[in-house]
Amino acid sequence: MTRILLNSRLDDCLSAWRSAGYRVIAPSRSNNLTSFDEVASAADMALDLVLPERTIKDHFFPQTEPLVRYEIKKQQIDTEEMLPPDDKRVFFGVRPCDAAGLDIDDPLFGWDYKDQYWFKRRENSVIVTIACTKADPFCMCTSVNLGPDNPKGSDIMLHPLKDGRGWQMVTLTDRGKALLETVVPMLQEDAAETASLANVPVKFDVEKAMTWLADPANFESHFWKEISQRCIGCGSCTFLCPTCHCFDIQDEGDTYSGIRRKNWDSCSFAMFTMHTSGHNPRNTQSMRWRQRIMHKFNYYRGKFGVNSCSGCGRCTRQCPVDMGITETLQEITNTAK
Amino acid sequence: MRVVSKREEAPGVRTLKLEFLNQEHHEFFRNHYQTGMFGLYGIFGEGESTFCVASPETRKDYIECTFRQSGRVTSTLAAVDAGDIVTFRGPYGNRFPIEEFEGKNLLFIAGGIALPPTRSVIWSCLDRRDRYRDVTIVYGARTVADLVYKNELDEWKQRDDVNLVLTVDPGGETPDWQDHVGFVPSVLEKVAPSPDNTIAVLCGPPIMIKFTLNALEKLGFSADNVYTTLENRMKCGIGKCGRCNVGSVYICKEGPVFTASEVQAMPQQDL
Ligand SMILES: Cc1cc2nc3c(=O)[nH]c(=O)nc-3n(C[C@H](O)[C@H](O)[C@H](O)COP(=O)(O)OP(=O)(O)OC[C@H]3O[C@@H](n4cnc5c(N)ncnc54)[C@H](O)[C@@H]3O)c2cc1C
Ligand code: SF4
Ligand code: SF4
Ligand code: FES
Repeated sequence: MTRILLNSRLDDCLSAWRSAGYRVIAPSRSNNLTSFDEVASAADMALDLVLPERTIKDHFFPQTEPLVRYEIKKQQIDTEEMLPPDDKRVFFGVRPCDAAGLDIDDPLFGWDYKDQYWFKRRENSVIVTIACTKADPFCMCTSVNLGPDNPKGSDIMLHPLKDGRGWQMVTLTDRGKALLETVVPMLQEDAAETASLANVPVKFDVEKAMTWLADPANFESHFWKEISQRCIGCGSCTFLCPTCHCFDIQDEGDTYSGIRRKNWDSCSFAMFTMHTSGHNPRNTQSMRWRQRIMHKFNYYRGKFGVNSCSGCGRCTRQCPVDMGITETLQEITNTAK
Repeated sequence: MRVVSKREEAPGVRTLKLEFLNQEHHEFFRNHYQTGMFGLYGIFGEGESTFCVASPETRKDYIECTFRQSGRVTSTLAAVDAGDIVTFRGPYGNRFPIEEFEGKNLLFIAGGIALPPTRSVIWSCLDRRDRYRDVTIVYGARTVADLVYKNELDEWKQRDDVNLVLTVDPGGETPDWQDHVGFVPSVLEKVAPSPDNTIAVLCGPPIMIKFTLNALEKLGFSADNVYTTLENRMKCGIGKCGRCNVGSVYICKEGPVFTASEVQAMPQQDL
């Protein structure tokens, strides 16, 4: 016996969650790019999308985030830390790759100094994931040892029913159980057959690619120039990646008052590592692309025990010149001995 | 933090002496600061810049930083006066393991504006002079005017327990210049003490470090006994923002202090 959530009861759940103090955020078409946004009703949810163009990262590590407000007076500076609000949130209709992205970034934001901006939002959010029954040609979760029903990062997993009436609900964490408690009357106890999962072909041999990357002899290989020749350094792949986390800190305001902000930055940008002296350790686009691959499939694993890629495929799907992690790791797998 | 005083060291180079406004912050600094660490010094409205803490770990009532006016934040910092308030985050990063240097000879080598990090180690050792053997300081700048901490150079010159060797690049000397003329690596080859039981601390611009490391190797120094600092562009200082790494090494957390052999093990193209 498992619990079933019917499509027809989704709006009742939304109301129940809202009365329990949660904001509900789901895939939506209300912006230029499909993204995760607060929704008023089930009708606002774009649950038919394989994956929104933007990630849920936007709601944990926003594109721009105020850190401190300052006001300068004579011989005195008043500052106020601007922590995110304490609002509880339900993320409904997340895909397993985006949920895994959060889990992958936790150790980075937590090592040594615990980033309160990230963890305050993490602790106040419940991730309700829908297992994938369809994929597009760019999906590659299975290539990075994840998959269309991988539970990493999710609090509740919904498995779509074969007859399309709704979802089978599986709670994975205490946070998930607590959320389920709020909607028990809307659920049915029933046996129902779930739809078959999306078939996501494996595109490269990640272990083999990682071995090649770990060999210092390949760091200065001509391969990097060839594979990244057409990169225009736009940064889309990093901004739309659920695990990319690099940022800049800038002050916005004047000498009397303003806000110190944390803004997304990208290792694809030439300015990213430029010293004030003009010296730039990564002064070509191929060095910057190498950095992105090495960081995801070598350095990050060395530090935190996981690869920094959840296989969402966005970096290929959205790249204006058709590059991406998939092509690079495929080429490495094909040429590596 | 409040600016206590400001000193012109050389054209475009200034030292700020800062005192804590908040007792709790001062206590944190006292408990955590060790020589080699850095901080982020800032002015609201302009941003933050990374400088080493130039004062030694034996003097923690205040913080001194010495910087070259080079861009936006440093230009604003250069304009502050005594009484003004600047922000400080830190101390961050690792340290020179100076207790491991005890009982050994010390050779300090610095170029240009890189004397500040070296000076922090120098005073940390000179303030406990009896723990170390011979101390040699080789310091070079482009011109005589560019030498920083001129008062302290005089003081070290007077001391008979310090061997100070000054040099300026050819063409940078003044008519009454009494010391060496020549680049640091070549002067070093002439004046360096024996590598036996000697630790070398080397700070300077990347190009000087490169040639000086070659010189030290020629002199017989083991790369494990040579310490240096890497100064990659930083933002967060706490291992989050992703920009300071060389290969897999986060300079802000695992550095900025490394031995020459650690630096040699890093991907050289990333330096
Ligand atoms: C560990 C360490 C120790 C150091 N110690 C010293 C020292 O003791 N003394 C010293 O003089 N120097 C030191 N430096 C170097 C020093 O940090 C830089 O010279 C200094 O930050 C220059 O700052 P600036 O703001 O004047 O330069 P700018 O180049 O004007 O930078 C201004 C700010 O804006 C950012 N910025 C600049 N241009 C852009 C852009 N186009 N887009 C986005 N952001 C931008 C910069 O990152 C910086 O935060 C050290 C560096 C490190 C890493
Ligand atoms: S790989 Fe593509 S998306 Fe990424 S920076 Fe280069 S051009 Fe832009
Ligand atoms: S690297 Fe590419 S495929 Fe991997 S998580 Fe980021 S955007 Fe998705
Ligand atoms: S300065 Fe941000 S990670 Fe090192």
